[in-house]
Amino acid sequence: MKITPISTKALFEATRSSLLKAQNALAIAQKEVTTGRHADVGASLGFMAGHAVSMRNDYARLGAILDSNTVAETRLAATQSVLEGLAEDAQSFLGALIGARSSDSGPKVLAVEAKARLKSLINGINTAVEGVHIFAGINSDSIPLADYFGMPAPASRQSVSDAFFAAFGMSQSDPGVSGISAADMQAFLEGDFTSLFEDPAWSTNWSTASGENISSRISTGEVIETSANANADAVRNLVRAYVMIADLGGERLNDEAFQVIVDTAVETAGAAVQDITALRTGLGVAENRIAMANERVSIEMDVLSRHITDLEAVDPYEASLRVTSLLTQIETAYALTARLQQMSLIYHL
Amino acid sequence: MTLTSAIDVARSGISVTSGQTAIVSRNIVGAGQALASRKLANVVTTADGGVRLASVSRVSDGALLAHMLGANSTAAQQRSIVDALDRLEGTVLDPELDASPAALIGKFHDALQLYSAAPHDPVAAQSAVAAARDVVRSLNSATETVQSLRERADAEMASAVDRLNGLLAQFETVNAAIVNGTRAGADVTDYLDNRDRLLQAISQEVGIRTVMRADNDMAVFTDSGVTLFDKKARTLSFEPTLIYAPDTIGNPVYADGVQITGAPGGMTIGSGRLAGLASVRDEIATTYQSQLDEIARGLIEAFAESDQSAAPALPDAPGLFTYEAAAGVPASGSLVTGLAGLITINASVDPAQGGSAAKLRDGGIAGPAYNYNPSGGASFSGRLQQLLDRMAEQRAFDPDAKLAASDTIAQFAAGSVAWLEETRTAANAEAEYRATLLERSSEALSSVTGVNLDEEMMILLGLERSYQATSRLISTIDEMFRALLAAAG
Repeated sequence: MKITPISTKALFEATRSSLLKAQNALAIAQKEVTTGRHADVGASLGFMAGHAVSMRNDYARLGAILDSNTVAETRLAATQSVLEGLAEDAQSFLGALIGARSSDSGPKVLAVEAKARLKSLINGINTAVEGVHIFAGINSDSIPLADYFGMPAPASRQSVSDAFFAAFGMSQSDPGVSGISAADMQAFLEGDFTSLFEDPAWSTNWSTASGENISSRISTGEVIETSANANADAVRNLVRAYVMIADLGGERLNDEAFQVIVDTAVETAGAAVQDITALRTGLGVAENRIAMANERVSIEMDVLSRHITDLEAVDPYEASLRVTSLLTQIETAYALTARLQQMSLIYHL
Repeated sequence: MTLTSAIDVARSGISVTSGQTAIVSRNIVGAGQALASRKLANVVTTADGGVRLASVSRVSDGALLAHMLGANSTAAQQRSIVDALDRLEGTVLDPELDASPAALIGKFHDALQLYSAAPHDPVAAQSAVAAARDVVRSLNSATETVQSLRERADAEMASAVDRLNGLLAQFETVNAAIVNGTRAGADVTDYLDNRDRLLQAISQEVGIRTVMRADNDMAVFTDSGVTLFDKKARTLSFEPTLIYAPDTIGNPVYADGVQITGAPGGMTIGSGRLAGLASVRDEIATTYQSQLDEIARGLIEAFAESDQSAAPALPDAPGLFTYEAAAGVPASGSLVTGLAGLITINASVDPAQGGSAAKLRDGGIAGPAYNYNPSGGASFSGRLQQLLDRMAEQRAFDPDAKLAASDTIAQFAAGSVAWLEETRTAANAEAEYRATLLERSSEALSSVTGVNLDEEMMILLGLERSYQATSRLISTIDEMFRALLAAAG
């Protein structure tokens, strides 16, 4: 004969277990309210946790690209400013050359100017940004151009002297240079002298730069060149123009021969200015591509960070509501337990 | 009828009432105990009109008990799986903490990207190598975690087997007492309760089915049908394995000489802690290990170096990532068990082992023939860009890892996180459901067979009144005797 539907143990067990569950849920809800994220992100997301990890990785990767783009941008900006300086120098040098044609300011003044400009060119080309010689290509730990006027004379200057001596049988400082004819000078400038600035002589005597430019990954799949090179035509031509005026014994030459040098220098420097402009345009394109890549990357990062939040976050209002209702539930359970304790026949017999 | 027989009847009433009171107090004492059933006194009228306590029986419900035992087995099984998965989750943690191999591979990729932007920078080189070392460490330590998990599961299986053997021996004693007591007509209800408790403990370790026989005899089988107890307890045997390497295969459990875990013949137990532990040891942990191994193999493959000589003659060799006692680059798309525990950073590129981090940029980690930067340019980034491209390439993975057959390394590693967390979510949901089921079925069983104190109190009230009435009867009969004796005296 069984008339009661519930045993005393089942009665107490029921409140006990529901109380335990509510307390567990409260701990979870509290954590969610304070952090704004799922208490156990992995278990709540299930297979989506893989997406969360991937997206966090993507986000960090894009951040790394932005960081590394800064390096390339700095390099490009430094390169641009050096090239800008070179172009300005070349322009004013051109002005001086053209002025010298008409006036009588003399080869000496021009030689001084050419010397100064060559020094500043070498200085500019040897610029290092964060330990990288920006005109050295991938061979960035070596200084691309040696100091032309350094002592002892570097290979570059020596090669010029040797070529001069080979052509005319005397050194540039020899008083006999005044006897060099305009035609001979013209032939020297177009022949042996020019080939000094062409490979293999150039990379042997002048430049330690690598012909390969530094390349950078500016977005997930885009690798571009992000440096200019001391071996560029612009640099070679400009150096050639400066050396012509500075170091071919200008003040001792006769007027006709010097005039040939000036004319060639005007032509060469003019070409160099155009080359520099072309180079700068190329760099500008790279800068622009980086800027666009950065913009794209930033947008992607925004989207990713929104997705990550969407995935991992909980609605804080919902969580705090949950805390409130759980607290009520637990208090009710306490009250109920106390009442159940009182509810026994033994207190009434 | 005589006064003597009247007093006999009254006396039998007194003794039955005290007997019933004893049963009520047994019930009250047992009210708090698990699986204590309510006892009933069966009272019969004797030939002389008196009453007698014929027997004691208990309230029982075989169907509810079987249901509870089944729920108990599956709940214990799921609990052991959830515990194991929670331990494995320690290798992954919250995505926010970036602690999983997948996240560390991502960080390594970032370090490589930064290095490719500043290839001349020795600090960037070292930080890329350090990030690679973190990846290697996470794979090594995850392997240790997985294998120690298997060791623990194995040890727990051994202790479960010991416990089962002990429980079955106890069961044999209790069952014999029940059978003998039933034949002798003794009160066996407390033994029956005891046997139910033993069943509950056994079902925790292994899923069971029971069959009732004559004289309250019981036979116990596993849920797959292997005999655990029939007249006599059968022995479970298990040879524990103390140390687990990734390629170690654990021993199965035998009951009565029949293999009951991982058995091919369909005798594998379906529930209970043993079943859970066996699936942790032989399935979940090994699958996760093969995923880790494939991540390691993918890294070794992606960072392998090719002969750069004009006339390449040497085979590809492991570069930044290599493994202990390396013998070439492992074949693509096929699992090398335990590779995640063996993967290391090549000593020639690791500054901590006297190597040069710049080899990451130049190549030549595997030997001089593998140099990608013969001119030695400090800002050479071609090899680094190639490595970044190779990390982003799809490559083949072994289907045994139960993830995508073709994926990038980072995606594959993220897939492993997804697999683990999904398994965990599913196991958690299942465990919760099973726990609720167990709670409900225990409650139902307890409600039907258990003791309600109020009811017992009311019965006690009735017994008290009956005792009072019978006492009054006796004193009245005594009065009558006295009157009779006085009249006769």
